[in-house]
Amino acid sequence: MNLLKNYKKGQSAWCYLLIAPMLIGFCVFTIYPICWALRYSFYEYNGIDATFIGLDNFVRLFTRDPGYWEALVNTFLLTFGKLLIELPLALLLAVLLNNSLKGNGIFRTIFFMPNIISTAIMGLIFFFIFDTANGFVNNVLLEWGIINVPINWFGEKWTAMAVIAMVSIWQGFGINMLFFLSGIQGIPKDLYECASLDGANKWQTFIHITIPMLAPVMQVVLMLAMIGTMQTTDLVLVLTNGQPAGKTEVIMTYIFKYFFNYGGGNSIPQYGYATAGSIVLAVILGIFTAIYLKITKKGTQIY
Amino acid sequence: MRIFKKGILYIFLIALVFITLLPVMYALFGSFKSNQELLVSGAKLLPESFSIDNYITAWKMADFKTYTFNSLYLTFFSVTGVVCSSAMAGYAFSRGQFPGKNIIFTLFVSTMFICLGTITLYPKLQIARLLHINKSLWGIIIMNVFSVGATNLFLVRSFVNSIPREIDEAATIDGCSFGRVFASIILPLLKPILATIAIISFKTVWNDYLLPMVFTISTPSKAPLVVGVVSLKNTGEAATSWNLMLAGTMISIIPMMVLYLCLNRYFVEGMTSGAVKG
Repeated sequence: MNLLKNYKKGQSAWCYLLIAPMLIGFCVFTIYPICWALRYSFYEYNGIDATFIGLDNFVRLFTRDPGYWEALVNTFLLTFGKLLIELPLALLLAVLLNNSLKGNGIFRTIFFMPNIISTAIMGLIFFFIFDTANGFVNNVLLEWGIINVPINWFGEKWTAMAVIAMVSIWQGFGINMLFFLSGIQGIPKDLYECASLDGANKWQTFIHITIPMLAPVMQVVLMLAMIGTMQTTDLVLVLTNGQPAGKTEVIMTYIFKYFFNYGGGNSIPQYGYATAGSIVLAVILGIFTAIYLKITKKGTQIY
Repeated sequence: MRIFKKGILYIFLIALVFITLLPVMYALFGSFKSNQELLVSGAKLLPESFSIDNYITAWKMADFKTYTFNSLYLTFFSVTGVVCSSAMAGYAFSRGQFPGKNIIFTLFVSTMFICLGTITLYPKLQIARLLHINKSLWGIIIMNVFSVGATNLFLVRSFVNSIPREIDEAATIDGCSFGRVFASIILPLLKPILATIAIISFKTVWNDYLLPMVFTISTPSKAPLVVGVVSLKNTGEAATSWNLMLAGTMISIIPMMVLYLCLNRYFVEGMTSGAVKG
């Protein structure tokens, strides 16, 4: 008995030792920043002097900062606009590639490929492709006679947003396709056999078997995709950097610019205000996620 | 009718393949063009002649040698560290019994769902300054290694769960301590999952932009490839260095691409199983 007790004691020590790196990291790089943010959201802080200003940062955010809310709206528009195209496309491809098709593996490999390339690098390449004067897209459209004057893609809010969404879709549809594919492969085959015995056609089996059986996978995929898109930072920084005139700023880049100078700007950082913005954002997204989980809970109970 | 349907299917898929590959092809072919040709080549994708001048210039003049070295250094140590820490923690959370296990695990996992985003970047930088590691690549490496990777943790934990307990019970009876069981019995069995984690974290670290950018703002000579390439865009002579930037993007993409084509299976496995199990 004594031996067992000793072993258990030793085991606890070993466990703490084994999780030590993550535990230390968690305290220092997650807990500490949160506490830091909670504290400085009540301060005006430029890196040198910190003055306590109470709730002023939050008051400013809610009453005097339309830029923040525009960036938040942009983020939601980008997320929903993008996922409206990306997820159906991914689902369609997953269904198509689930059949025994020649070159199946090659298609999968290629469609997933954009996912392995750095988002920042892709932002740079698309910046060239959509350049006004020398960009590939404008040149092709001009040559084919579709347009007469080069389109200034990054000069208008909506075209710039469309380009951002395009890059984001381009990079994300492959992984979602794989998620759906592994979900589809988990559906029991006999369900399809029963359906075909009952004379259901392909469309009917898709609507009545594939979609409901995929619901749990879809819940996770949709949530990951939403959270992922809402955190879009480097793509926007590299591609438009908020241009024209901050109209394509998403929430992460908007906050980021109060922390750091980016792209040659030379303003004084406002750490206190930036943390207040982050905290409000975290709360909004937390509420959003909670609502999402509550709404989708019913749809996923299939068994 | 069936052949017709199949035909449409293939046309659709091949068109999509073309769209998927186009940006990369544009960058690849563009990287062989001179700047002059880039600006006037219009809708032509292929270069007039394949010249590697851009690569030579980028390598010698534009510091891409340093950037590549930084990237390799940073990625090597980060990946090694991440693999070790996930293996250790995954084993402890799977087999170990210790006070606070469930709370700690829940806290770790919750980092996946709380959206901290840019909020942690500045405090991290401050901590690095405090430890005097903000001017070397080790600052970034330490941030990468010590941060909680919930997905990796899940992957290792469920892998250890699938190893029969009899194996380590036998070793325990033979007098192995908990740590010894890990080092000599479990760790060798973890190879496949650790390979997957190594590849996924290689991808993440190699491609990362924001954290290394923030850390190397004041020391450009420590920038990894992605940061180095993108920083050219924000310099004054951006318009005259398209060719260098394209060569730079390819230098950063090609190693990743080769790895992906060789180890495709691990990529797909790691990316999908991590999310679905999580």
